[in-house]
Amino acid sequence: MSEKPIQGEKRVFMTGNEVVAWAALAAKADIMYGYPITPQNEIMHYWTRMAPKFGRKFLQTEDELSAGFTTLGGVLSGRKAFTATAGPGNTLMQEPLSMAEMMRIPSVVVIQQRGGPSTATVIYSQQEVTMTTFGGNGEGFRIVYSTSSHQELFDYTIKAFNTAWKYRFPTFVLADGYQAKMRESLSIYDPEEKGIELVKPEAAIGKPAVDGKKEPVHVRNTYNTEEELLAVLTGYMEDYQKCAPEIIEYQEFDCDDADVVVVSHGVVSRAAKGAVQELRKEGLKAGFFRPVTLRPFPADQLRSVADKTKTLLFVESAFGQMAKLAKEGIFGSTVNVDTLFKPGVGITSEEIVAKVKGLL
Amino acid sequence: MAKAIKIALAGEGGQGVQSVAQIIAEAANEEGREALYIPNFGVEQRGGVSVAFLQIGEEQIGSPKFQTADIVVALSDRAVRRTRQYVDGNTTFVYDSSIEGVEKDIPQNAGRILAIPAVETSRTELHPRVFNIIIMGAVIKATNVVSEDQARAAIEKKLGYKFEQNPKLRELNFKAITRGMELVEKAQ
Repeated sequence: MSEKPIQGEKRVFMTGNEVVAWAALAAKADIMYGYPITPQNEIMHYWTRMAPKFGRKFLQTEDELSAGFTTLGGVLSGRKAFTATAGPGNTLMQEPLSMAEMMRIPSVVVIQQRGGPSTATVIYSQQEVTMTTFGGNGEGFRIVYSTSSHQELFDYTIKAFNTAWKYRFPTFVLADGYQAKMRESLSIYDPEEKGIELVKPEAAIGKPAVDGKKEPVHVRNTYNTEEELLAVLTGYMEDYQKCAPEIIEYQEFDCDDADVVVVSHGVVSRAAKGAVQELRKEGLKAGFFRPVTLRPFPADQLRSVADKTKTLLFVESAFGQMAKLAKEGIFGSTVNVDTLFKPGVGITSEEIVAKVKGLL
Repeated sequence: MAKAIKIALAGEGGQGVQSVAQIIAEAANEEGREALYIPNFGVEQRGGVSVAFLQIGEEQIGSPKFQTADIVVALSDRAVRRTRQYVDGNTTFVYDSSIEGVEKDIPQNAGRILAIPAVETSRTELHPRVFNIIIMGAVIKATNVVSEDQARAAIEKKLGYKFEQNPKLRELNFKAITRGMELVEKAQ
């Protein structure tokens, strides 16, 4: 067996795509299936460069439909498989991921969001929130982590494998073109040396016979009676709602006495954090709330913030895709709502500071 | 806590603005500071202006891109026009004095405007290959984001394998940094 990809802990300076490849290696992923698309290409590039040294594999498929389905095939045969995509690739991947939801196949997909609506715009955006949380024909039985830094990209890519296999819902690491392409520092480490136990994949099909008897396995994707579909989905919904509180993650600070709480996710939350800190330094009552999991959404946590503040300011590089999840989560609240929506461009702390000052 | 220093470097493909930004970012990281570097990556870069966004500070950097920079370096006529938007009264705007036809495009609202003969210096004194290293020296001098020693160490790390084969290249690169710093000093 090859040696460990990462010995101990070390500070590195690299692009987010390279971080994802290292994290997948560290999480003991066996194989990546993928199809090239900007801005996630370099995940594949780095993976193909590094994986063979550690006995891992890669398959380039003919498109994202195929990359999604082969990933699921890999998982069914007992491999820790993953894929990565962006934009229209994410659109195509909704079909296999919908099957994964129905068949409860653990799967890990890294999304580097890009602008839309379009098949050709490759620049940064945060416009794949709706699609990643609720895409496909189904009910959104999935888990979506929205990362904001290279450290989180590393930590949550490792975590995504454990989450996916533990709960058997497709798990997404949702980043964006900025996080994919920028370079910043982070610490990479071997998770097991840090006491993080890594799930071991198990084959769903093709298992060896036990005591000379081979039990048939039936992983279903097709239901022919309406009542049966309802029964199965009701069970899935119960499973999802039961595990949601264990999965939900969020960050908040300075919300207790805040007049305005800035709500943002992903890379934009970096600017929001800086803005709130700056406003506080000036003695202005601003607060910070960030859903780390967009699905399941930290609705109760945001609601308790909404109950004690005057205004929630939703800030995102989209026309309210995160805000839609948030507003549903706090349905019935009488808190004021304001927005700073800029699809396609990043949002700076200066802009957020100016916007909040206008609301105070 | 001082705010992060924001730098925008822009030029034509091949002028090496991305590698300059990356080397400075790595040098700052080696010094234990927080650095964030991101290139523009739209399809415009197939024949468009190449822009590098670089921020260096003491704490984690916020947004990867910014509205206005502390220093803007523009190395072609199109780069001058492309980067005007990043200039305000606190910006030092550096451009190459050989660029023609941009008299009306130089952002007059800049806090400081420095024209430096980097292209000419690389051609006549050093070698066109080290043009971007001259620019790197200019950026370091104009911002003090990293020390000259750290910049040399970062170049050594990046190009050391080439220097092994040809030690003259090391001398040429190090001289280019020094000359870049001098050009800014003179222009100030």
